[in-house]
Amino acid sequence: MEVLLFGLVAEHAGTDRLVLEASTLEGLRSSLEERIPQLANLSYATAVDRSVVHGDMPLTGSEEIAVLPPFAGG
Amino acid sequence: MSESPKHSVKDIFVDGPIDPAFIATSIAKHATRMDIGAHEIFLGQVRADPVITPSPAEVRQQVTAIEYTAYRPMALERMTAIREEAFTKWPTMTCLHVHHSLGVIPAGQLCFMVFASAPHRIAAREAVAWVVDRIKAELPIFGREILSDSTHLWKTNL
Repeated sequence: MEVLLFGLVAEHAGTDRLVLEASTLEGLRSSLEERIPQLANLSYATAVDRSVVHGDMPLTGSEEIAVLPPFAGG
Repeated sequence: MSESPKHSVKDIFVDGPIDPAFIATSIAKHATRMDIGAHEIFLGQVRADPVITPSPAEVRQQVTAIEYTAYRPMALERMTAIREEAFTKWPTMTCLHVHHSLGVIPAGQLCFMVFASAPHRIAAREAVAWVVDRIKAELPIFGREILSDSTHLWKTNL
């Protein structure tokens, strides 16, 4: 599945999108932290279909996933 | 752009700084609304914050600009929900206009506007304060602070 990256997370990854496989959101976070080790020391949120999800949930692969560093609007 | 069944999703984003002349025009457009008795406007401006870059070299820098980016579809969905909630909380509010800049905004320029109108001041004033706080907390907008030596830091809302 395609994962959208923003701001500092995209900077660490060197790209604004990654393709990763995972059947749960926790699994996806583990893959992300392997691919972007700096995430372990960062506060970030994961959004599934444009809503932030804090816990775990199953993923079918058709969701829109985004990794969001701290917000800075305003 | 996706649309919710009841309310169209308004695009709040503008490329570059918000022009004060645009704000004046926005105010003037309300002159035909005879039910409005109060306008409340919040304007965010990019601040030239002093920054001490971390070790090894502790050098005094200044923020010269902020480059804003956003996860647009989510930001617009969140904004639509916040807007609907604001009209539920302050039903007398007649209108609410929100604009946020994207791209490089130099220090001293305006990057954010929340403009509410109502028959009386309390609703407009409360709604603007509440909407500003919700936007800062919930919209996925990211700010790269460009420093005087061309390095950068990432802004975080507290």
